[in-house]
Amino acid sequence: MTRLVINGRSITAQPDQTILEAARAAGIDDIPTLCWYPKLPVVGNCRICLVSVEGQPKLLPACATQVADGMVVQAESHAAVENRRGVLRLLLERYPGDHLINGGRARPRNEFERYVVRYGVVPTPPGGRDLPLRHGDERPGDSMIRHDMSTCVLCTRCVRACEDIQVVGVLDVGQRGEHTEIIVGADGDPDKAGCTWCGECVRVCPTGAIFEVMPQQRFAPERIRHPDRVVRSVCPYCGVGCQVDLHVADNTVLRVTSPDIELDTPNQGSTCVKGRFGYDFPQHRDRLTKPLIRKGWVKEGGRWTWRGPTGRERRGGPWQTIEGEGQNAKPAGPPRSVGKSLRELSLLERLDLDIRDRGATPASWYEPFREASWDEALELTTQELLRIKGARGGDALACFSSAKCSNEENYVLMRLFRGALGTNNIDHCTRLCHSTSVAAMQRALNTSAASGSMREVEHAADVIFIAGANTTESHPVFGAAIKRAQQRGATLVVADPRRTELAGRADVHLQMQPGTDVALFTAMLNHIVARGFEDKPFIAARTTGFDAVRQSVRALTPEVAAKITGVPAELIRRAAEIYAKGPKTSTLWAMGLTQHANGTDLVASLLNLMLACGMIGRWGAAMMPVRGQNNVQGASDVGAIPFVYTDYRSVKDPKIRAEYAHVWGVPAESLSLKEGLMVTEIVKHESGVRGMYIMGENPIISDPDIAHAEHWFRELEFLAVHDLFLTETARYADVVLPGSSFAEKTGTFVNTERRIQLAREAATPPGDARYDLQILIELSNRLGLKTAHTTAQDVMREIVRVTPSWAGVTYERLDGAGLQYPVPTAAHPGTAFLFDQRFPTTDGKAIFVPVEYGPPVELPDDAYPFVMNTGRQLYHWHTGTMTRRATGLDQREPTAIMEINPADAAALGIEEGDLARVTSRRNSLVISCRISDRVARGQVFVPFHFREAAANLLTNPVLDPYAKMAELKCCAVRIEPAAVPAVR
Amino acid sequence: MSASARPTHDAATEPYQPVFAGKVLEELQSLLGRYPTKQGALLPALWLVQRQRGWISDRDMTEVAAVLGLTPAYVKGVVTFYTMYHQHPVGQNFVQVCTTSPCNICGAEDVVRALLQATGAKELGATSPDGRWTVIEVECLGACGFATPVLINDDFIESVSPEKVPDLVKRYR
Repeated sequence: MTRLVINGRSITAQPDQTILEAARAAGIDDIPTLCWYPKLPVVGNCRICLVSVEGQPKLLPACATQVADGMVVQAESHAAVENRRGVLRLLLERYPGDHLINGGRARPRNEFERYVVRYGVVPTPPGGRDLPLRHGDERPGDSMIRHDMSTCVLCTRCVRACEDIQVVGVLDVGQRGEHTEIIVGADGDPDKAGCTWCGECVRVCPTGAIFEVMPQQRFAPERIRHPDRVVRSVCPYCGVGCQVDLHVADNTVLRVTSPDIELDTPNQGSTCVKGRFGYDFPQHRDRLTKPLIRKGWVKEGGRWTWRGPTGRERRGGPWQTIEGEGQNAKPAGPPRSVGKSLRELSLLERLDLDIRDRGATPASWYEPFREASWDEALELTTQELLRIKGARGGDALACFSSAKCSNEENYVLMRLFRGALGTNNIDHCTRLCHSTSVAAMQRALNTSAASGSMREVEHAADVIFIAGANTTESHPVFGAAIKRAQQRGATLVVADPRRTELAGRADVHLQMQPGTDVALFTAMLNHIVARGFEDKPFIAARTTGFDAVRQSVRALTPEVAAKITGVPAELIRRAAEIYAKGPKTSTLWAMGLTQHANGTDLVASLLNLMLACGMIGRWGAAMMPVRGQNNVQGASDVGAIPFVYTDYRSVKDPKIRAEYAHVWGVPAESLSLKEGLMVTEIVKHESGVRGMYIMGENPIISDPDIAHAEHWFRELEFLAVHDLFLTETARYADVVLPGSSFAEKTGTFVNTERRIQLAREAATPPGDARYDLQILIELSNRLGLKTAHTTAQDVMREIVRVTPSWAGVTYERLDGAGLQYPVPTAAHPGTAFLFDQRFPTTDGKAIFVPVEYGPPVELPDDAYPFVMNTGRQLYHWHTGTMTRRATGLDQREPTAIMEINPADAAALGIEEGDLARVTSRRNSLVISCRISDRVARGQVFVPFHFREAAANLLTNPVLDPYAKMAELKCCAVRIEPAAVPAVR
Repeated sequence: MSASARPTHDAATEPYQPVFAGKVLEELQSLLGRYPTKQGALLPALWLVQRQRGWISDRDMTEVAAVLGLTPAYVKGVVTFYTMYHQHPVGQNFVQVCTTSPCNICGAEDVVRALLQATGAKELGATSPDGRWTVIEVECLGACGFATPVLINDDFIESVSPEKVPDLVKRYR
């Protein structure tokens, strides 16, 4: 400990702290800073933080001077203040500060101007300036980020934020002397410089020279500076679960900022483009503000009766099926500088290609519906759910819950279906996400969640092994953390059929054929065992069943695997050795592994590799299935899956059932002991499901083999959809219930590292739209399940009663960074990483499960020579319901594209932007091509966000035997140039 | 020049021929062997580009960035920092005249005028219509005793007077 005196106050500090850090830690936070910013490298170029230190002849920069014992610092000495005035005066030479001229009475507009006012510096009048103002907007026409360089003070925070926090490096300092300026890429085009529009530069800019466009278009500057309130919430997109601050004016989120670095928040102040700019969808004109009822329903003699058409027309409407839309001609996608295929086109020219808002709901979709009162809508829903239950039993009903809704909402919906309707047919999109990971982790470790934390990967891992995860696009904030880890010295090994950004940066990229991961991991383990690199003490002490695995990997040498996977044997050996030698290897995987019909095996083989090398249960050796949605972990944790109640407690156990029946106040017999059906099983004719309630999901875009799914939904007896918009699924509904968006609710969400975080309500739902929780509580009561809760907090109190690992959770404790469960008691601090002592299996040991390699279900052949891979794009999210209605995001990716390798495109005579017809054994669609060497030869990549070219028309509905996951990642297709030209 | 100058549409749609191919690539590779990091070879790599192209375009900077594992903005920052990298096409002969105080007193401005006239370049920094000459002023060339010094490409010529200019220019035709 070092003792020093600052401004007459005696404080203690860590010896490696700077004067500035020590002062701020001690609560002395008035040392001004411009170039300094938390987490950025210190450059000390602005000289505004200079302070007097006794015995030193010159002023010293507080941001760059280490504390020393006995130091006496005066932060506001005469010399320091005079220096600051000088610094500010020089900066004001080239700053449009006319509004500050009338002494200190002017209102400062930003951080820099606050210092100007604080130190009473009078700006130079416009005529007296020796130098012209800087100028220039490097991003003309950009819908999200603009520059007004006249206010730039060259602090270079933006440059360092881009380079060192997001590790992209779009910005730098150009020219010199008085001509110095901030430059964008080599030619001023952010796209070509690899910009991801994350807005980190906006966040750190102290003058607003780099600013957000959308708030300025919608609100007066005063409104933006002084919002009605700022509310801490959780980003509605991916599983990283970034904390965000929603600035609210007129009941509208006017902008999103990220809280400054705070404890262990997952994002540490960063966001990605979706989090920062994807917030305006709740105000889209498509937003439903009144319940809708399909026109054929009439109330006769106190009962709702269907008087509309029957047969095929029962759920018809003036729209094309997804299958039909797939065949239409479409606009060419905007050029994008990913991979090496740069298309040179300035942003201005791109504005001419404006093809936005194609995901909006066509007006004709509303025709089959009429607006209704809540009473009518809920009465009809209640009547029909109870009628089907009475006529066919509870198991004829099913429910899709939502990973975009809070734990409380998922819990109440799950409680409603189990308690009031007596069925376990409740599932959500985890089925199409990490269900195979859960199955494999349950078998091997009896666990269902990540063992570690994102920050341990960033700070402590020596090796980061990423299998089938495009982290920089799907989980961008975590992706940036991985890039920072690599910069700190961690080795990056990526197994991915595509050359994603991380694959391009990786020390080893294993570019295998899709679906051959088992062979790859098995061969790595084969080499590790052959060389004796496995962690023998760990295997002996903490696992069982390794001998069987040792046998099963014997035949699959790297040479054999090279033939199967297409990865050179030498590379497999190198990756294996890097992985095994660690010393701390973190293992990450996502949809690339899980979305296969043998996904459970794929994950199991990776777990075998991980366990054999002992890469779990130590800080830095994390097992991380990276979760896709902001509450996919929580929705599963609170029991919105067919086999378990909360905390993964089996529905088959009568003792557990009795406990829930008691809490819910229902007879135990009314709860079913039979495991329910899963998403992919429900949407099948043999499921026997005749009525459905869907909350916030859009299965008609997300389910495999859409044409079949769409037909299936049309055949239902009753369908209620609870959503923000009239989605592709909702258009077939009998009743559409308008719910609340992420900004319009209070509730908790669980991120990919088991962190329970509290999102707080920022606005009220528009029109007659209601809080999701309110809808579900009223429906429960109408269905006869007494639900006295009124707030999310009430619901959480019930959840913790029946969820032992959340027992210590209260809303009060969730302030700040939230809690990582298990939190078994009120005093427990939460668990950052698991399994350092034992695994939650019966004997405390992890179980090796031997896995045999089997080829993917569909291999390319002469008729279908390409392998199609599906996935996410940076700018969109899932079925596009939200992101395609977010102005900025939509402008970046307004239409469906398919990535195809340059060589394949040339062989087929396809050029950038041309339309191609893609045909699988199920169906076909027309889509615009983007030529990119991110995909290997013989493979194509189609994102699944787009209604007009829905990738899932083509995917294979064959299911994983354990988790019932469909083969979403890999199907054989044929590609030919479409006969039609691209249209606007 | 401002960094916000954009390439014209025509320039942008022409296919780009990389600098680092064949012999130049080999040169770069031997260069890389002499530096501890790829980044260290940035200045000589840019010289290679300028030697090949006569100047360094935005596209060239992007290529250098890709080859050396840097960001395009970083390369641009370096190119624009130094005055000796050309960001515009220049004449085949690049003339630098010292016009700093001592040379100025000794008549450097007359030398400049004579050079502009003899080469046909309209003004300082502009290229002559035949594409052969660009003349610029520079700060001290370190030969105050031999005013006015002129640098033509890599040749250092001392004691240039307006009378000597026409012959001098002829030598480089």
